[in-house]
Order: sequence, then C-alpha cells, then structure tokens
Amino acid sequence: MCGIIGFVGQPGNDALDVLMTGLSGLEYRGYDSAGVALANASIEVYKREGEVSSLEAALENHQAGGQSVGIGHTRWSTHGPPSDRNAHPHTDAENRVAVVHNGIIENYEALKSSLRNDGVVFTSETDTEVVPHLIARELEAGRDPKTAFREAIGQLAGSYAIAAVFEGSETVYAARNESPLVLGIGDDGHYLASDVPAFIEYTDRVIYLDDGEYATITADTVTVTDATGQPITHDIDTIEWDAEDAGKSGYDHYMLKEINEQPTAIRECLRGRLNELTGRVELEELAGLDPDGVVTFVACGTSYHAAMFGATLLNRWGVDARAVLASEFDGGSVPLGPDSVVIGVTQSGETADTMRALREANRAGATTLAVTNVVGSSAARETDYTLYIRAGPEIGVAATKTFASQQAALTMVAASLTDHRSRELIQSLRSVANGIQQVLDDSSARAIAEAYTEARAYFFIGRGLDYPVALEGALKLKEISYKHAEGFAAGELKHGPLALVGEDTPVFALVTGGGKRAEKTIGNIKEVEARGVPVVAVTDGQTEVDRYADHVLEVPELPEVASSIVANVQLQLLAYWIANDLGRSIDKPRHLAKSVTVE
Amino acid sequence: MTDHSAIVLAAGEGSRLRPLTKHRPKPMLPAATKPILEHVFDTLIDAGVTDITVVVGYQANRVQSHFGPTHRNVPLTYVTQEKLLGSGHALLAAESAIDGPTLVVYGDQLVDGDIIADVLDTHAVADPAATLGLIPTRDVEEYGGVRVDRSHDEPENGTTVTEIVENPRDDREYYLNAGVYVFDERVLDAIRSVDPAVGESSLIDAISSLLASESVVGAIADGVWVDATYPWDLLQIADDLLTEGDVESQVAASAYVHDAATVVEPVVVPEDCVIGPGAVVGPNVCLGENVTLGANATVTHAVVDSDTRIEDGATVRDCVTGRGVLIGPGSTVVGGPADVEIGDSIHRDVDFGALLADYATDEGGSTFVPGAVVGADATVQAGSVIRGNIEDDLEVRG
Repeated sequence: MCGIIGFVGQPGNDALDVLMTGLSGLEYRGYDSAGVALANASIEVYKREGEVSSLEAALENHQAGGQSVGIGHTRWSTHGPPSDRNAHPHTDAENRVAVVHNGIIENYEALKSSLRNDGVVFTSETDTEVVPHLIARELEAGRDPKTAFREAIGQLAGSYAIAAVFEGSETVYAARNESPLVLGIGDDGHYLASDVPAFIEYTDRVIYLDDGEYATITADTVTVTDATGQPITHDIDTIEWDAEDAGKSGYDHYMLKEINEQPTAIRECLRGRLNELTGRVELEELAGLDPDGVVTFVACGTSYHAAMFGATLLNRWGVDARAVLASEFDGGSVPLGPDSVVIGVTQSGETADTMRALREANRAGATTLAVTNVVGSSAARETDYTLYIRAGPEIGVAATKTFASQQAALTMVAASLTDHRSRELIQSLRSVANGIQQVLDDSSARAIAEAYTEARAYFFIGRGLDYPVALEGALKLKEISYKHAEGFAAGELKHGPLALVGEDTPVFALVTGGGKRAEKTIGNIKEVEARGVPVVAVTDGQTEVDRYADHVLEVPELPEVASSIVANVQLQLLAYWIANDLGRSIDKPRHLAKSVTVE
Repeated sequence: MTDHSAIVLAAGEGSRLRPLTKHRPKPMLPAATKPILEHVFDTLIDAGVTDITVVVGYQANRVQSHFGPTHRNVPLTYVTQEKLLGSGHALLAAESAIDGPTLVVYGDQLVDGDIIADVLDTHAVADPAATLGLIPTRDVEEYGGVRVDRSHDEPENGTTVTEIVENPRDDREYYLNAGVYVFDERVLDAIRSVDPAVGESSLIDAISSLLASESVVGAIADGVWVDATYPWDLLQIADDLLTEGDVESQVAASAYVHDAATVVEPVVVPEDCVIGPGAVVGPNVCLGENVTLGANATVTHAVVDSDTRIEDGATVRDCVTGRGVLIGPGSTVVGGPADVEIGDSIHRDVDFGALLADYATDEGGSTFVPGAVVGADATVQAGSVIRGNIEDDLEVRG
C-alpha cells in the first residue's frame, strides 16, 4: 500500500513538480508517509513520515537541479509502522537503484534471508526493501538495468505494482501483478501511477497494464513486454474525467461536496437504463446474463452494505441470493459451480479482498459481474460482465455518493436478473434524485448532530431494506467521528444489544413506509424509549413513530427502494456534522484508506 | 482582449420571485431549461472570460452542487457572503479576485454577449475607474437609471456618467444600468467609504461615490437584456429564448417519447423525460430533466422544472412549476389572463395560468383558476379549486 507515481520528462521538465502533484492526487490511497526519488547521474531520495505536506517541508533543502526523471510513493503501512525509515522509495546499499512498490511481497522473508546471506544489510522493516537489493545483486552479476529489473521481479511472489529508477539512466522500469498500474502518454513526457488522478492534470491518454506485464518508460517511448521480453501492443484509452473534478467547489470537505452531488450522481447512474413506458430496467451491459443458480455478492465495507441491499431485492423477486464479505469468501466457504453467479461490488474496482474472491469465482467456472465506479479497473477487466455506477470520482475516504449509486445500480441489477417488470419500481428509482435534493434542502441533521456530539455510543436500527442502511449509517459515523457506532436489524435489539443502551446512547431508527415492517420497527422503538434512551427517527411520516422519538430526521414520502436510498442521506449528514463538531479529519480519517488494495 | 476574469454576484434571494426562491436563489431559476446563472456563465465564457469568481450566499449549496468546480472547463471559485448585506458588501467578499480591471455582473439577469464585449472594449480604450454597460430604454423605474453627459462624446471612449439613481421616478432622461461593470481596486474603497443605507451596502451607492472623484464612463450598448422580476416573466423569457433561437427546440436522445404522443414545436424535452401515450406537449414548452407527462396529459406554454410529474389526463397551460412538483391526474391549469397579487401589489391581465413552487403536490382532479400560486412543499387535496395564493407548507382542500 498504497500509491505510486513515476515520470520521465522531456529535458526541461521538472520531475519533482509532477511527482508532488501526483502524490497529492493519490493521497486518498494512503497517507502515513511519502517520498520521492529523482534520478540523473546519481539518485536523490527524500522521504518522510506523515502526509505529503511533511514531505514538502523535507524538500526545502532540495536544490532544484532540473531532474526530469523520478518516482514517488505515498504509503499506508502494512509491514512496519509509519516512519521515515520505512517510507518509500527504498534503495540498495550503494544508491544505484531506487524502488517504489504498492502491494505485498509474500515471499519477502525467504528473499531477505537469502540476501542477508550475501551480506546485505537491511535498513527498514518493509517487504519492499528486498526489491532494490535483488536488483543490485543482478547488476553486480553484470546485467543491464532492464534485465536486472526483470530478473529481480521474476523472483517475487505476491501482489505488486513496482517502479524503479537507476543512477545514470533516464528510464523508469515498472511491473504489475495484482496491484493497479496505469501508464500516461503525455506531450511533455510519460507517466505511470496507481490511478489516473495522479497525472490527469497532464494527460488524459492512458494504457492499463495487465498482470505479468513490464513497462520501460523513457521521455520518447513506452514499451510494454511480457516476462520474457516479448513486446505487447496496448490500445491507448482516453479518460473522460475532468481534472478539476478533484476540486472541492466551495465546500469545506470533499465528503460534504460528494453528499451534495448525489442527485447528479444518481441521474448519471440511471440515465438511459429505465423505461417507464414499458416498466423495464434496460441494462445492455447484462445482456445474456440469465442466472440459473444462486447469486452471491462479494464486497467489503460500504459496498457490502449495498450488496446486502441488492441481495434482499433479488430474494424478494424470486432469485436466491446472498451477500458475503469478500474477506470471508475463500475455498469452500460458499458452494460454487458453473451455474453460480458472483457479483463483485467495489467502488475502486481494485479492492484486494473482492478481487481475490472474483478470481476464485472465475476459477470455479462461475459467471462473474463487477459493479464498480472505475472504468478500466481490475474488476472491470477480469469479470464476464461489468456494470458501471457512473458516480464520478470520489475523493473522501468515507464513501457517500458511491453508496447511493451502488444501491440504485444493484436495484437495477436485481430487476434485470429477475426480469422484474414494474412501473412502480421505475417511478421509485426516478424519484430518488429529487428525494435526495429535498433532504439536502431541508435536513435538520446539523442541529440534531450538535445535540448528540457527546454521546458515549450510537446505535442504528432498521428492517428490510432499511437494515443495510442502518449498518451503513453506523459505519459512516464510526469511520469519520471515531465514536463507537453499531447497526442492528431492528428485531435483533431485544436479542442482546438492548443491554448496551442507556441515556447516553442515542438510537437512530429508520422507519420508512407505512406497512407491517414499519409497525414492527415502531414496536422495537417503544422497547428502547421505555428505558429512557434518546430516540431519533428517520422517517417519511407515514407512521406515528414521531410520538416515540425525541427528534425526527424527515425524508419525503417515497415508494419503497427510493425511501431507503434517500433516508441514508440523512445519516450521511448526521455523521458529517458530528465529525465536524468533533474536529475530525473528515476526508482522511485516521488509519483508513480509500482503496484497500491489500487483503 | 482575451483572458478576462469575472466576478458574478449570485448571493441574493430575489424575494419578488417567492415562493420559487424558497429553496434556491434567483440565479438558479430556469430560463427556458437551464438556470439563469448558467446562461450568464455561458455568455461570459463566450466573451473570452477564463476565470470566474462566484459570490454565493442564499442557498449557496444549490449553486455549488449544480456547477461544481468548473463550467465548460473554466474554473469557478466560490466565495461566500455570510450575511446578505447588499451588492456592495457582496463584491467586498470577492475582494481578492479584483486585481486590475475586472468584469462584474449579476448572476440573475440575462445579458447579451455584445453588451459585455462593448463594456470591455470601452474600458480598455478609456481607462476610467469604472465602466458601466448602459441600455437605451425608457423603462428604468424598476431598475437603476444612469444619467450621462453626451456633450463631448467620443464613442470609443464611452460616455461620461454623471449620476446613477436606483428606481428613478422623475421625468429626466435615463439609460438603464445593465449591471455589467468593469471595476478595479478603487471600487473597494468606494464601497467602504459609503455608509450603509438601512444596513445594506449598495454597489450603486458606491458608484455614486466613485463618480465624485474619479472618471466613470458608460458604454451604450444595443443588446438583449432580460430580468425576471415576477414568476410569469419566466414564461416570457422561455418564449423569447425559443423564438430567438438561443435555446434550440429539441427532444433529447435519452428521453422516452411514446409513439402515440404528439410533440408540437417549439419544445425542449431534455434527458430522462418521459412523454406518455396520447400526451400532447407544446408549443412553447420547456421541460427540465427527468420530467414525466402521463398518458393523455396536455401541456402548452409552460416552464416545467426538473423531476416534475404531470399525471394522466392533466391539462396545463401558461404554467410555471418548480422542481419535483406533482400535478395529479385529471387536474386542470386553465390558463389565460389573470389578476395576480404579489406582495401588496396587484398585477392585472397577466397571461399566467398558475405557479406551483418546488415540491408542491396536487393530488389530482383539481382546478387551478388563472393566477393561482401554490407555495413550496404545499399540498392540494384531490378535487380542490385553487384561487389566489397558497402559502408554503400548507395542506389545502378548496
């Protein structure tokens, strides 16, 4: 973990500028330390624990030497705590080669002892440091940098996107296996990065590397080969995202911006996919996907809650479905066969746990579908079918608009797989954007947040489609406020969690619709209220739940599905304002990274 | 001249357009199918502006979330006027964006690109402290009137401005202040030097004060200038934009139009709209995105904002709706001339069927007598007859 960047510029381009811009664009992938290596006759390395801004401070002593070649890294610790020493880039003892790496080298202990036997002294606790020493060993054996790099990488087992620079060379060498790596083709030089935002300011033309491929990048050329050195031809894709999409447009945090972008994101997600005249969901992307067997969703975190939402709808519409945490999905945990459909839900399309589960499903012969936000991501490329949620880039670590878009997209997937034809459902989905706008216009979440900022713990309950929303509400709050928050199925409260509630533990209850489910949830609320516990109802006013609630977060009266998607927005705002009142680092909560590319 | 910076003042509510402004500022009301402010940005960008600072205040969120960080690749910088204390105060909020001559326009008026070009050209030649766009028209009472001295006119150098008056009521000859200015840093001192009248610091007062010591010129321009003062003006603006061809009559590719529906041009049917079987839409109808017309609905001469549903069999004429409005099955907005009460004045013989503000819900089978105004978030129960004004949030049965 977590983000790498590389640049080889035409003479006169300052690589450091490009690298620092790139690192800022990658900070969402991790930010406990950062570093750069600049190469020409010799290699200069600068690295620091902390965010990219601490690295900037370290660079004050750097004499601008006009180096046009370099690599950079922003780290999220897996091996060894965050420290200057463990920050990338890592070099060999004589500073002939510098390496940045995203991923995990699984055989690093074995490689390390072999290198130690050769007298190598390690200066960090990272798995990555074996790489420059392996390359140095190949150099000493008389190999040129290109061959040395390939020979060294060939000894690695595990996941990696690796880039290296050599002293006296104006070339960057790179390799990819199970970690994202994309090349940028620019006018002033060539780029590589874990993700496109790192260099989108400079170019929108990209090449996505595949696993097992090597790239050799100079100012004039980019060549991609396989492990034996055979050239591979790649198409150049053009990215349609606007570089300025990364701006906060006047909001204090990306998270608040992204919460407010949800009506637009939902419109994009639904556009051209809903035909109200026929009552059909029209997903061309899924043409030919007709499940005979059980549908299994695999996902992590917020995406898992969206997966539960999708599985609930599939079950209601007559197809067996389940949501499984991707990290719990391994050999034999779920029966798989050629009839199985496995749907991976991942915002980034790079989530390591989800990718591993999808690869396992592929091997078992199951049909795989990726529901993702990132075009050209690993998930999109390695599955049989892909549905993009079209939410646009999300920078805040806490997922907001991508959850709403996932809920909408998975509703469409469920309708499509079950051939569920319903004008009511189409109307429901078409009302979501407006419903969210109404909540954004009128929400009292800020005032309610203020009343509960000092609570000891927070509980969220819901039933049916509101159950995954309750889980998501709790996750959002814990992620960004660092307060203890848990979500429960409303009916489960009395089976244990009720022992936890008290006067300083507000219960946030989702009650949408006016049917039996809502009435049962009100029964659960009464149990809580009777014990003097503060209750905040998130409701559309179709029941009398407000009689038992201390506060109400109102949502407009909408059909099922829409009401649950819209109700979640109140919980996003609640989490945002509580975290804001507590002065938390909302866009970059401690210990968390946006795209988790380690298992 | 190229590479201009511009400041757009978009912080005010526009209270005469209530109840349409309950949830959004006037710049976000629809001129035909897109917000007035979007037309303003487009005009600026077409005139060569490459950097826009937007002063937001009232319901700022609606502006920021609609446009995001750029418009047509031109960066938008948002500054917030925390308290709405007048147009002068608003410009002070954008103080850091004034570095040399800077174009300043209002975000709630449609201004022709020619006016902007004339003001920029005149300022470049005459190099005064401020240049104002002036429009020859008699109709200045509702706006700002500008007096000029034309005795030694040289057209390229502009015309010397002698006096600027808000809402002039006398018989003297005025030009209309188009609200298109070029200022430099001197305007900031002028704003600060003026004692705020009734708590509000006005840009007009600041220009008056600037006139006393510095040269202020006017660029007399012939070009279209439109301001929506009352809700029915939105119908007129849409008509004008369709007639002039500024907004093209079209049906978007992603709209679903039933084979048995009738589209009478000019109309604008944007993305995600649904037109049901037997429905008739047009002429002179501007729909927002994701609008639905049910089976056999008839909509003529209307501005219907995003996400609104007009259900089966409803008839809607001369009507303005906000966002997310529901007009229920079988309801009728009769249309035609009306006497409309706005605030404490009555406007007679206005072509105005009805206004339903954002999120208003009509359950169906209702009749809207010409001139009816339904407030934001209000509910009209099935089978009502609606006359006059229904306040925001009310539920009525009439």
